[in-house]
Amino acid sequence: MSDQVAVSPFIIHHSSFIIIQDMHHDNGIWVSTEDLMREESFLQSAEKEFSMENIDQTDGKWETGRRDFLKMLGFGLGAATVAASCQIPVKKAIPYVTKPDAIVPGVANYFASSIVNGGDYCAVLVKTREGRPIKIEGNSLSAITGGGTSARAQAAVLSLYDTRRIQYAGKVSEGQVEKMEWPVLDREIKAKLATGAPVRIISNTIISPTAKKALADFVAKYPNTQVITYDPVSSAALLEANRQSFGAAVIPSYKFDLADVIVSFGADFLGTWISPIEYARAYAKNRKITPGKKTKMSRHYQVESHMSLTGSNADNRVLIKPSEMGAAIVALYNELSGGSGGPKVNEKAAAAIKKIAAELRNAAGKSLVVSDSNNVAEQVIVNKINDLLGNLNTTVDFGTPSYQRQGDERALDGLLAEMNAGRVQVAIVWGANPAWELRNAEAFKAAFAKVPVRVSFNGVMDETTAVCNYAAPAHHLLESWGDAEPKKGHLSLIQPTISPLFDTRQAEHSLLEWADSADLNREDEQPYYQYLKSHWASELFARQSKYNTPAAFWDMSLHDGIFEIPATATPVAFAGTVDVNGVSKPSGAALEISFYETVNIGAGQYAHNPWLQEMPDPVNRTVWGNHLNIPVESNGKDKINGWKNLLDGEQVEVDVNGQKLTCTVVRNFGQAPGTVSIALGGGREMGGCGVSFGVNVNPALKVEGGLTQYYASDVNVSDKVGVDKNFACVQHHHTMGLHSAADATQNIDEAEYFQGSLTKRSIIFQTNLKDLQELGDKMEEFHEEAEHLNSQTLYPSTDEWFKTGLKWGMYVDLNSCIGCGACQVACVSENNVPVVGKKEVARHHEMTWLRIDRYFYGDIENPNVVYQPMMCQHCDNAPCENVCPVSATTHSMEGLNQMAYNRCIGTRYCANNCPYKVRRFNWLDYTTADLWPANEERIFHLEGDEKPFYADNLVRMVLNPDVTVRSRGVIEKCSFCVQRIQEGKLTAKREGRAILDNDVRSACQTACPTGAIVFGNLNNPDSEVNKKSKAAAALAYKVLEEINVRPAVNYSAKVMNSNEELYS
Amino acid sequence: MMLKRICWVFTILFATALTMQAQPTKEAGKELFVANCASCHNKNMKDNLTGPALGGTEERWAAYPRKDLYSWIRNSQAMIAAGHPRATELWAKWKPTAMNNFPGLTDEQIESMILHINDVYINGAGGPKPPTTDVATDEESSEIPWMFIGFAAILALLAFALMRIVNNLYNVTRVQSGQAPINKTVTQILSTKGAVAFLVFALVLVFGHKMVDNATQMGRSQGYEPDQPVAFSHKLHAGANKIDCQYCHDSARRSKHSSIPGTNTCMNCHSAVKKGSISGTKEITKIFASIGFDPIAGKYIDDYENWSDKQIEELYKKWIGQEYMTEKSLTAMDESGRSEVELQWEGIVKALKNDSNGKIQGPIEWTRIHNLADHAYFNHSQHVAVGQIACQKCHGPVETMEVVYQYSSLGMGWCINCHRETEVKFKDNDYYKQYERYHNELDNGKREKVTVEEIGGLECQKCHY
Repeated sequence: MSDQVAVSPFIIHHSSFIIIQDMHHDNGIWVSTEDLMREESFLQSAEKEFSMENIDQTDGKWETGRRDFLKMLGFGLGAATVAASCQIPVKKAIPYVTKPDAIVPGVANYFASSIVNGGDYCAVLVKTREGRPIKIEGNSLSAITGGGTSARAQAAVLSLYDTRRIQYAGKVSEGQVEKMEWPVLDREIKAKLATGAPVRIISNTIISPTAKKALADFVAKYPNTQVITYDPVSSAALLEANRQSFGAAVIPSYKFDLADVIVSFGADFLGTWISPIEYARAYAKNRKITPGKKTKMSRHYQVESHMSLTGSNADNRVLIKPSEMGAAIVALYNELSGGSGGPKVNEKAAAAIKKIAAELRNAAGKSLVVSDSNNVAEQVIVNKINDLLGNLNTTVDFGTPSYQRQGDERALDGLLAEMNAGRVQVAIVWGANPAWELRNAEAFKAAFAKVPVRVSFNGVMDETTAVCNYAAPAHHLLESWGDAEPKKGHLSLIQPTISPLFDTRQAEHSLLEWADSADLNREDEQPYYQYLKSHWASELFARQSKYNTPAAFWDMSLHDGIFEIPATATPVAFAGTVDVNGVSKPSGAALEISFYETVNIGAGQYAHNPWLQEMPDPVNRTVWGNHLNIPVESNGKDKINGWKNLLDGEQVEVDVNGQKLTCTVVRNFGQAPGTVSIALGGGREMGGCGVSFGVNVNPALKVEGGLTQYYASDVNVSDKVGVDKNFACVQHHHTMGLHSAADATQNIDEAEYFQGSLTKRSIIFQTNLKDLQELGDKMEEFHEEAEHLNSQTLYPSTDEWFKTGLKWGMYVDLNSCIGCGACQVACVSENNVPVVGKKEVARHHEMTWLRIDRYFYGDIENPNVVYQPMMCQHCDNAPCENVCPVSATTHSMEGLNQMAYNRCIGTRYCANNCPYKVRRFNWLDYTTADLWPANEERIFHLEGDEKPFYADNLVRMVLNPDVTVRSRGVIEKCSFCVQRIQEGKLTAKREGRAILDNDVRSACQTACPTGAIVFGNLNNPDSEVNKKSKAAAALAYKVLEEINVRPAVNYSAKVMNSNEELYS
Repeated sequence: MMLKRICWVFTILFATALTMQAQPTKEAGKELFVANCASCHNKNMKDNLTGPALGGTEERWAAYPRKDLYSWIRNSQAMIAAGHPRATELWAKWKPTAMNNFPGLTDEQIESMILHINDVYINGAGGPKPPTTDVATDEESSEIPWMFIGFAAILALLAFALMRIVNNLYNVTRVQSGQAPINKTVTQILSTKGAVAFLVFALVLVFGHKMVDNATQMGRSQGYEPDQPVAFSHKLHAGANKIDCQYCHDSARRSKHSSIPGTNTCMNCHSAVKKGSISGTKEITKIFASIGFDPIAGKYIDDYENWSDKQIEELYKKWIGQEYMTEKSLTAMDESGRSEVELQWEGIVKALKNDSNGKIQGPIEWTRIHNLADHAYFNHSQHVAVGQIACQKCHGPVETMEVVYQYSSLGMGWCINCHRETEVKFKDNDYYKQYERYHNELDNGKREKVTVEEIGGLECQKCHY
């Protein structure tokens, strides 16, 4: 590209913040630094389907010379001839011997259950086909999740079919399990336990009442037992502060829906903090607006250094350094209480907090202040702030406390000492992975080795199981019985949806077996089921009054999956002692680092799930591994660059708390100046596909007062030391491009780059709440202009044609979308979208049908964010359809843009012509669908990266049998879940009635925790999708409305409720 | 005035209803029996099946009012619960097998059935009638295309005549210019460039057509008629016994699959019918061996999955031998009996043991006949329950097939043709109300019918996704 085209933007200083003002960016929206600087790489990626970086990486093994070409040609012809003369293989049809009543082959069954991992909880329905779970749906009966799910819950079904699961019990040596029969294992362990020696059970939070009963039974039998509970990301200070302030070490129910002003000190409550599905659902209620009807929305301030998912949704962010968190909390406290003690936060933040305090005071009783700090004094002050604001018992409710965090890592110090002293004889690890996730994992391992009997219930050969001497693998959650009480009175059941795939056993069963429990009926086929049922009958039944018999109580709870005992109001009063000097002190260091949990892989617990690894981090949009986020700087005139001039994908040495880490850098807007951040959960060492992606930062964590601190001030970052050649960030993949590269002209014909980067494009509309009317008017004008443009056509309109029968469409409320990615994983799960791996993603080959685009606007150093789920828009005037030479993509009379894979010959003209860049090409045989049976053995035995996803019959069990598995060389894209449409239509037809909204719900719609996506029949004036788009009035728009492709997806403009005076 | 009219209407309706109620006939009874009773009660009325033999029912219920018999047939469990003496007696003998309820049967219909039962019981069954073949099938037009042959002949004549004229005119010009006329022989004519080119062109066309035709046949298996592990006869079950297709293939109306029935479905009848009318013990014993039914004791074996092959062999050989001796009225086993037992046992092992299941116990592995390509989605329920298409439309006259074969090509063109021609049951189903334009056109006579094509039945993504 020529230099004169790259016109730098004008950066304007607006008293205290910097905004972009130039003709490309006159809508003030950008996607990245490259976009802002109009860098060649960006223009290329906006111009072309694929940018050139990484694209020609071949490893040499795929290179084809002339001779190879001839050989292949010859072989191809020969193979085709042989194949043509082969007989059609004989297929078998194997019926049941005794067909279960509930199963009709070909019809899905749904079972209510719960997805629980430590404190993470989601009430779900598990979809099974012919007895195998294939999809997770939300359970709308639950008051906690209300039918919403998270990416983690959606992906749980894949871990059931993990090829690396431990398949039987046995002795562990060198990371391998030597098989033992369960009775033999029981005998050996019981012999050890019988000595009465001290036993320690190490677990993450357990929210199951019956599992706790089983633990109690075990402790009763072996009184020398202690249960040590910690959480991968600690909330111990919050629990301790609540104990000090209110007398109960529990987490209250935070009512985000009742709060008009929300202030979060670092708590990522929409993404990862405690109960994100519940919070996101409540939060979104107060963020939805309907012009003319409901124009009130909450205001959300986020005080943080690294841009979290929650921060990216906030109206205003107050940037601080991680060590200033205590000072920031004290600043707010002082403003509200009139005090003046304690450490001081930076001036800019102090001024902002002053204004926030005033606003909070006005919303007394209807505000909410939360913090994820792991410092007791800070949490006590936050409690006091809520007390001062009158939020106790309104937005902070102790009537239904949450039990989702119970861990306290301080107990581990004692455990380590005991183990080192050789006092612990038996250690049982239940779900936790201390040998990796602890900051002092090495010390733990050394001490752990001194325990003679070490047993692990974990399902895969993770770092801890590898250093145990017995593996007693538990069932996967979807094979287990169980229950959960995530919040007081909210009971939830877990039921098996498949027979155990391997010779595993429930952890609770093992404990009861070893405790010789009289309540465990070993003769029964499912002993723990009986135990669970009788516990519900004897204890939980007594807590409710709705049902008269335990049987009815059990049956209905099992059917619904949940049972809710009405809460009793439990008013609390603040009784703690505020110590403004007990908070963490600002370090004054020039550079600080913070560590955070990610939405997809948590603190590493979910690292072995390929669906989650390949889901881009919502904020920095990288996949497979953790990356060092560095701030973006501007010289205030014409230059925007990464800190230290570092570029994405470059590697640096990070020296933190004495640990040397080699990290890959990603520039991230919104990262506070003078800080960097990196996610936990990278660099797993054993147990699955997450191994070797990213770096393990746990050893760099430090403690204060026994509590883990997720930041460090003692940090140095080197200059570039290398480049990660497989750096995979999807930000510029399939980018639509917001602006023209041509400067002087807005004339499309004269623009140098027109494909994918047209002039001023209508992709995102955003405004501040107070300017709502203005935006409405502007958009009205825009709609008119677009309509005028679109009517200038020679072709007759097709609108009339679509009025007969059904017309499918979607409405996406950008104001409700928080970018959590649940829809993306749901789509992958529903539609058999393959996992391609990091190297392929780096080559722009990711296959996801639905991506969540992230756009910035506002202040360069502290911008606002808009998330936009982008999938096939099913244009009625689709550009892709016209260019297909073989009519593989055509339009249906129901408005669907259809894709016939077997017709596709892979010209990719359609992908090239798609203005939304939503078509994906199968560059390689990702699913091994093309494999000849004779080659399967060879491929199936490959290991690690070499092995394609789905190249295993176990993993293939997760496939949705109603959706074709695509082979190499064809295009695929969002089908509006056509299999669900067909199923819904059939149900209505069979019942002889009109089709209803509930008959057809797309996978992304059902997964969404905030109800941002609505799907339905546009021809029905009463359908939800029509009502919603109508209610949004002028704020509803179609992306690229002006180019007359007539998409079927309506978006609504993003409206923020920012306080524009915060920094003035 | 109004009231009077209404009274009149009612009187007329009542009178019509009375006259419409037909007198009970044994013909009507036979139909009703086949439709409602035959799957559980033996059609010879003399032997027990899943339910008791019905011959002599009238006498056995003679001690009670006739309406008791009616209520028994309509809802037997209610009578058992009420403690009717005959009902409790029957229940004691037959429980836990409960009889289905038939609340819809009228008194007359029941009387018709009793007439039929008595008729068969006293006069004997007339033997199964040959199965009817009145099924509508797509008959290929076998007429010779005389019209085309005629056209071809005329064209050939024309060509010949023209050739002659051209030749003559050519010769005339030659003669006029003083040259000798040329008269070509047939061989000369046929070896001209034009003729050879035409021949080559025609051959290319013919072979090309043939090649494309054969290529589209690849992967299709019309007429495929593999051997099955059990010689199950649809001719007997669906044809002679007139068992409804969906009695066994019950998921066809609910699911995309029509499903091969589980062994337990076979056992609904075959726990009573232990020997076949054609094959004796040879085939039915395979079902017993699959599910673990002891035909001698007449009950299921509790821990069948733990049985050794030896135990299984012993049991079923005993059964086959016993039946052989009964049939031949022997008191001791003879040599041919022994070899018969051995042969049948080998048949059982061959049918049930295979690569994927090394045991006798377990499912019967049938050879799948109808294989659709993986990328084509087909839903039985859509066609059976919504479209109300007869199974035979695609599967052919299965009720005449001793061994089932693939009747249709299952090619895409075949599907498409049917979708073009088939009329949608548009008026009876509220689902189709949304197609307002079509309804208007139907109402004002602009259109006669709505075909599957017109509601999108030819669109790619109706079958490919």
